[in-house]
Amino acid sequence: MLRTRLQPLHPIAWWCWAGALAVAGSRTTNPLLLGLLFAVVAWVVTTRRGRSPWARSFGALVRLGLFVIVIRVVVQVLFGNRVPGATWFTLPSLPLPSWAAGVTIGGPVTAQETIGAFCQGLQIAVILACFGAANSLASSFRLLRCVPAGLYEVAVAVTVAISFTPQVVLSIARVRDARRLRGRATRGLKGWRGLAVPVLDGALERSVALAASMDARGFGRRSTSPRRRQVTAAATLGGLVGLGIGLFEVLDSGSASGIGLAVVLVGGALVIGGLVASSHGSRTRYRPDRWLGAEWLVVAAGLAAVAGVVAAGSNDPNALVQPLYPLALPAGPVLALAGILAATVPSAVAPRPAPLRAELHEAVA
Amino acid sequence: MTASHGQPPVGLDRFGSLAIAIASVLGAVAFLWPLFIPAHGALNQAHAGDAPWVIAALLPLLLVAVLGEFSSGGMDAKGVAMLGVLGACGAALRLPSGGAAGFEPVFFLLFPAGYVFGRHFGFLLGALTLFASALVTGGVGPWLPFQMMAAAWMGYGAGCLPHLRGRRELVVLAAYAAFACLAYGLLLDLWFWPFGAGTASTLSFEPGASVAHNLVRFLLFHSATSLGFDLPRAALNAGLILVAGRPVLAALRRASHRAAFGAPVEIVPHALETPTSS
Amino acid sequence: MIAFDRVTVTYPGASAPALENVNLVIEEGHLALVIGTTGSGKSTLLRCVNGLVPHFSGGRLNGTVTVDGRSTEQYRPRDLADAVGFVGQDPDATFVADTVEDELAYAMENLGMDSATMRRRVEDVLDTLNLHALRQRAITTLSGGQRQRVAIGAAFTAAPRALVLDEPTSSLDPVSAEEVLASLARLVHDQGTTILVAEHRLERIVQFADIVVELGTAPGDVRSGTPAAIFATAELAPPVVRLARAAGWSPVPLSVRDARRHAPELRHRLGASARPAAPAARGDRVARVKGLTAAYGPIPALANVTLDFHEGEVMAVMGRNGAGKSTLLHHLVGLRRAQRGSVEILGRTPAALGASEAIRLVGLVPQDPGALLCAETVAAECRDGDRDGGLAEGTTRAVLESIVGGISDDTHPKDLSEGQRLALALAIVLAPEPPLLLLDEPTRGLDYGAKERLSHLLRRLAARGRCVVVATHDVELVAEVADRVVVLADGEVITDGLARSVVCHSAGLASQVARILAPAEWLTVEEVATALAERPRESRASS
Repeated sequence: MLRTRLQPLHPIAWWCWAGALAVAGSRTTNPLLLGLLFAVVAWVVTTRRGRSPWARSFGALVRLGLFVIVIRVVVQVLFGNRVPGATWFTLPSLPLPSWAAGVTIGGPVTAQETIGAFCQGLQIAVILACFGAANSLASSFRLLRCVPAGLYEVAVAVTVAISFTPQVVLSIARVRDARRLRGRATRGLKGWRGLAVPVLDGALERSVALAASMDARGFGRRSTSPRRRQVTAAATLGGLVGLGIGLFEVLDSGSASGIGLAVVLVGGALVIGGLVASSHGSRTRYRPDRWLGAEWLVVAAGLAAVAGVVAAGSNDPNALVQPLYPLALPAGPVLALAGILAATVPSAVAPRPAPLRAELHEAVA
Repeated sequence: MTASHGQPPVGLDRFGSLAIAIASVLGAVAFLWPLFIPAHGALNQAHAGDAPWVIAALLPLLLVAVLGEFSSGGMDAKGVAMLGVLGACGAALRLPSGGAAGFEPVFFLLFPAGYVFGRHFGFLLGALTLFASALVTGGVGPWLPFQMMAAAWMGYGAGCLPHLRGRRELVVLAAYAAFACLAYGLLLDLWFWPFGAGTASTLSFEPGASVAHNLVRFLLFHSATSLGFDLPRAALNAGLILVAGRPVLAALRRASHRAAFGAPVEIVPHALETPTSS
Repeated sequence: MIAFDRVTVTYPGASAPALENVNLVIEEGHLALVIGTTGSGKSTLLRCVNGLVPHFSGGRLNGTVTVDGRSTEQYRPRDLADAVGFVGQDPDATFVADTVEDELAYAMENLGMDSATMRRRVEDVLDTLNLHALRQRAITTLSGGQRQRVAIGAAFTAAPRALVLDEPTSSLDPVSAEEVLASLARLVHDQGTTILVAEHRLERIVQFADIVVELGTAPGDVRSGTPAAIFATAELAPPVVRLARAAGWSPVPLSVRDARRHAPELRHRLGASARPAAPAARGDRVARVKGLTAAYGPIPALANVTLDFHEGEVMAVMGRNGAGKSTLLHHLVGLRRAQRGSVEILGRTPAALGASEAIRLVGLVPQDPGALLCAETVAAECRDGDRDGGLAEGTTRAVLESIVGGISDDTHPKDLSEGQRLALALAIVLAPEPPLLLLDEPTRGLDYGAKERLSHLLRRLAARGRCVVVATHDVELVAEVADRVVVLADGEVITDGLARSVVCHSAGLASQVARILAPAEWLTVEEVATALAERPRESRASS
């Protein structure tokens, strides 16, 4: 099957790729690897980002990541656990009352702890950047069309919400104009009161018209036999219990391996299985997004990054960490570097975003 | 204007209620784990144990399970449309602020809607408003399931408030709004705590320490970082409800009346022998 | 195909039934037109067909409604989705997908059709409604007419045997309305669909109708029959029918083309009768727009517009959607500041004034008059109007009474009919007595009676010395009311002249009477009727 001219990459493929890169980032605090990861993500985003309204979210999340780094470093500098090391400077100590549970403010600030905090902040920032990339590259609407049958109504509600939001924004502008036409102020708390109610009224009226139109077009036709309902409910509840057990196991043992992980996976599978199986019968999909070769390649590229980092870690765990004692340049394990570089494949393989069509906005009279 | 509005637009059977209960308990654990994690639960110091990542992957599954219960519990077109439209209003409220300095009036609609339409509707609306606004502003990240869960709890709580009359109604709603916004800030900061303070500072959580010990540290962290955002947000939402709550409640009740959720339907076909009346 | 058997509908909590004892049969492949004043129950009748009344709205239905052999007693709206397609009044509120294709496929997805059938039907509908160039476009970027066609297509892809439409052309300009009606005619003629349409603006659709159902104001007053039979006596009738009645033509023609067969005789009868003359001199100038240029970002809206507005005149601003009519009005009322050029009303710039000063200088009734109304009751609205304008208490209420009576104080503004809402908005805007009054598309959703009242009101205001500017594409309103006409296209002024010459000499802007009696310059049925009454009855051509 060939890809049609207009079909973009399946949104789940983008999310898998970004998720895999986020997992790779969570396994290491080596600033060299993290920096390379960020560069790869930024490159793919710039080459394959479209012009949809959410395409700019990458920049927003990168800025948020910088903010997190700053917070981490500042908290560490002000409140850090003072451990021996190369002191950079000393802050005046503030005494805190005894109930303050061992918190200290000020004291000597070492290079090691600052750089350590910076690397941990960088790790979080890179993971945020991965999420920003997924937001920019994958279309929310197409993502909502992929949900399993059990979540259909909720997905419709979310689709209605995001397609209705621009209308609400326009409605706010119109009501603000109307207030001026009546000779009233449009600012301040009083302005809110006059703005909120007409917009809300208009939106609620339209919701009834929308519901009538959906009803008239056959919404809600599926019927669930009680037996199937019991089976899916049992699957869901069983899955939830499994997840709970797995969670306690992980919290208790401290690492996601062994029994804890297994139970969590089983619980998750049960929950998702319950969703997929619930009353699947009568609804079909028009032109569902197809999963073709390009999607496999993109997911494989993400997995290659994870595999590279994990393999480098199993060879030499110290290569994945910024060496602090003694302070030295970080290592550059070849396997990890190669894996991360392989994650740039989507910039070549994924289809180009659709060209911008001339869009006249209805704001013009 | 009557206060009654017939059936609520969204309902759950007993499986669904049980699912919400279990998911909420697990969700509480997902938020509160840094307070009581045992010492051997955070062996791998570099990542504070694997707990944050597992929980980040787990909470979406919890949410998905609960939302699936709502879906199969029967949401008809009116419920879906009302949810979607109110979610859109909430998302539109989030657009101008973008989370800047905590002036987020996005919850302003959640409380009256949960109050008028019931707790299950409030739960769903909280989750969906956050999800839709994240999609619209491009802010889907690992924090989203936590935001959704916390907002869903807030909406649920609004539906559990007693129905009073007159001025007291607004006061109760505004007080709840302030409390819920502060609680929301607290919960989200709890999520952020391991990331924001790491494990190597004196403000971080200490695996194995007592709950009280960790709680004090957290409260100090909270007042240092997020309280500056939470207080204005709580004040703004409570203020908006006091000022604009009455007409908003009236509009929601009118809409509930107009949509005729569960209104009685009666069809009386003529018997064949009945003579036509002209 | 569609049968109503002694149907009475009572909404929950209502004291009187909305419809009473309706008996109606619509054959397969017919186009049925439902006419009636606002509030006469047209929407209720339409919603009974696919079961929205009573299953969606609640209430009691006595009697039986049968569609394609299925009764709405056993079948809910979602079960009838493959038999009846429904298009509501506000298509913008009914979209659930982002692209045109996905919206068209929505109904079929719900019905569980297989993908080959779905592909084929979507292509069919794209061709029938001429939408194939728009298939991947986001719906929010389409024009009003295109959106209306998408809504019709979305109701039609499931291949229903019947289609029900509630006022499909009310918000469209004439060109888009033509496209929509042509699509409907094609559906009836080529595919044999049964179509039931409720409309206020009957001019274009009457010629396609096979059956006309007339609903009177009393709930039990329902008549149905062929167009010729109903329009021989119906109160609500398009200008061509009223002209025919005034001239005594029989059988009553329904289209301009049929009417033109009688036209030479009528022109001869009218001969050189005097038409109402335009006033010799224009009143004092009230407002001036000079060199006004405006743009929305990169999209130009107005280009170097220069116009004068004088008191005692009704000025119509016409043009396609997007030509800049609303932009011009927004600049005149001060909502937007002029980028280049100037706007001046009695020597002052409206955009520089504060809100409460501006309303004493110029008032605008926007496209959706409900946007102005935000109080809980009509009385509260009037009190707010008095307070905003700094007027004596009761002023706004008095103005409202003079426009239309019979609106009770306790009604919620959202519960008013379209005409009453417009009247309330007009009262609020007119209470501070601004010398310049602007109206943006006032006739949307108004029936003929309300339109007539509006025309009389506007002429009264002009006679008392105010300047009234109406932006509209309703050519009949322009023919009734306007003294001068300005035509905009792409933001530029194309024509600015006396109404009679502009309307009569333009193909697209001519009223029905003007088109029938061309090249003689007659605008409205009233003019013709007055002229006929004045002439002594000489030889009349036999009918």
